[in-house]
Amino acid sequence: MIDKRNDKLGWIFSSPYLIFGLVFFLGPLVWSLYLSFTDWDLIAPEYDYVGLDNFLKAMATPGVQAAFWVTYKFMIIFVPLVTAMSLAVAVVIQGLPRFKSVYLIGFFLPYLSSGVVASLIVQGFLSYNSPVNEFLRGTFGIQIDWLGSPLSALFIVGLILAWKFTGYYALILTSGLESIDQEIYEAAAIDGVSDRQRFWKITLPLLYPALYTTLILSFGVTLGIFTEVYQLTGGGPNFATNTWQMEIFNQAFTNLQAGYASAIAILASLVTFISIFAIRKVLEMWGKRNGWV
Amino acid sequence: MRKKRIAMLLAMTLVGGAVLTACGGGGKAADGTTTVEFWAAPNPPQQAFWQEMAKEYESVKPDVKINVSPIKESPSSEASIQAAIAGGNAPTVAENINRGFAAQLSNSKALIPLDELPQFQEIVSSRNMKGTIKPWVFADGHQYVLPIYSNPMLIGWRTDLLREIGYNEPPRTYGEILDATSKLKEKHPDKFMWTKGADLADPTAWKRWFDFFLLYNAASDGNKFVEGTSLVADDKAGVEVLSFVDELRQAGGILSQNATDPFETGAGVFTDIGPWTFDMWKTKYPELKYGENYELTLPPVPDGMDPADAKTYADAKGLVIFRGAPEASRQAAAEFLKWVYSKEEHDVKWFEQTNLPPARDDLTELEGFKQILAEKPELAPYAEAVSKGVPAMDNPKFNEIQTLIGQEAFNKIIRGETDPQTGWDNMKKAIEGELQS
Repeated sequence: MIDKRNDKLGWIFSSPYLIFGLVFFLGPLVWSLYLSFTDWDLIAPEYDYVGLDNFLKAMATPGVQAAFWVTYKFMIIFVPLVTAMSLAVAVVIQGLPRFKSVYLIGFFLPYLSSGVVASLIVQGFLSYNSPVNEFLRGTFGIQIDWLGSPLSALFIVGLILAWKFTGYYALILTSGLESIDQEIYEAAAIDGVSDRQRFWKITLPLLYPALYTTLILSFGVTLGIFTEVYQLTGGGPNFATNTWQMEIFNQAFTNLQAGYASAIAILASLVTFISIFAIRKVLEMWGKRNGWV
Repeated sequence: MRKKRIAMLLAMTLVGGAVLTACGGGGKAADGTTTVEFWAAPNPPQQAFWQEMAKEYESVKPDVKINVSPIKESPSSEASIQAAIAGGNAPTVAENINRGFAAQLSNSKALIPLDELPQFQEIVSSRNMKGTIKPWVFADGHQYVLPIYSNPMLIGWRTDLLREIGYNEPPRTYGEILDATSKLKEKHPDKFMWTKGADLADPTAWKRWFDFFLLYNAASDGNKFVEGTSLVADDKAGVEVLSFVDELRQAGGILSQNATDPFETGAGVFTDIGPWTFDMWKTKYPELKYGENYELTLPPVPDGMDPADAKTYADAKGLVIFRGAPEASRQAAAEFLKWVYSKEEHDVKWFEQTNLPPARDDLTELEGFKQILAEKPELAPYAEAVSKGVPAMDNPKFNEIQTLIGQEAFNKIIRGETDPQTGWDNMKKAIEGELQS
């Protein structure tokens, strides 16, 4: 039997988030959808309905096409890197006899740091006259334009993001590792299971729910990259690091094309939704096939 | 009883809200005070100047309140202004507005044409700026910006490095620079001639003012780039500029990688310098002395042109009045500006505090300015070159146009991905398409 009082209480407790979601997510989404069919520049008192023009223009624009592919390039670099790093950190920390939380906080700190500050430090570190480059030039005669070549620029941004998120994901994975019953490991040890088998046959399957969460989160990160790219490369060289957020920012706030930028934002939302949906399905299939879920 | 209390609370909230709205609206308050919301450039010297002016004006005109606050720069001052207009919170006046952004704002009917204000002509004549303001007329014949300062961008040369390779004077033409580059590379293979850094390879629109337009204005004698919806760029000058950059790159003379203060640290010979740089140098690079180890000149020109007559890009900014502000505030703002610019000592104070040359015709003639120039000789070349400065284009699509200059031509030349003629042709095609869309 449904208790109506609990029902009401549930709505009351959920209301702050619901109101927040309505005001800051659903409202802007509907408004953005409306704007995407107009040529509004965010300032002019009047604007026209332009039908699907903004969407057609966006799909034919090099900047938007680059944003689409660059997102997946970042996925290829960032997701394996951050997963491997956070898993390594979690496994090492879990094996420590004490001060686990101190180490975890240490790794978590980059997540709290400002992306702008981190980017500026990296920029200084990689500049032409930095000690690193002076050393490379002086000792090996190597001169690398770290942020000026497409591949290294992608890797640099991917590395900064991996450094930032490793501690956060390690925290999730450590709690996943902590929840694994130690008796299973003890039983495996009695059965003579090797370390490798222990990881692949016990740890990984039982860690799957936590790993699933961090993987989805890390894929999500690549769909919303802005600060590091804005600060370090501006989307260049030649659109090599141009992300959805960069393109939306440039069109809305530099070129004052709010309607067009809204169309790009809607396209980005669609790509994000479809990508995350597909990734979830793949991860679930992976789990099911191995009998982890 | 409970309902009454709630009703009282609501009423108080509404009244309080209304009072706050009235205070922040910038119009005429109940006590007869008119408020002007003045957004100043987000740097301490400019803010200090306007705060001083506001305080002084309020003492002679107690019924006007000038609220000076810095323009927020998150993510950029343009975006902050845009967001304020969209949110109905635009100020009455904002400074630090360039012609390109003003064109965007006027195109969206966010600005009032200043030339229609009775105070405008008085300001122009009392400030002696008839000549300086001429190139500021917009395509529709109106004046939307009152220029405050005009920085003709100059080239800074490390004369200590030039002397090492046998030059007592900076090279001024393309041919001379290329010759100097080969001598420099022989003596210092790791040094560069043009030490601008990563900005050269970055397609961000405003960066083209300080590289492409600097050279283009000099090579084309200040020929317009775009007029209305037509590209009217000087083809010969444009290709010459790109060819020069291409040859300089091939000679290994361009530093296009991110570098920390490459000119100041002696990584190369020349770069563009604005007068705002000198205060930073005083504290960070006190060893840099004008006339001793660096010189300032107009931008280089193609062979056969007189470098002394070269035009340059003028980093010029000014004041605008927003249409959305209440009428009383707009009028009060115009009166305030008339008062500020009716006294030349205010411009002298501006120059002294900011190092930015006031946009007026008599900069090298007035005693107050002469005194500052004697104390700060590095500012003299800027004052002398004010008339050589060409301000930014007044096209509402300037961002798109300048991004295309970078993406299709300039950045590609810097990276060696295209030849000058192909780059120029592709750029023209892309800009013409953008202008017609």
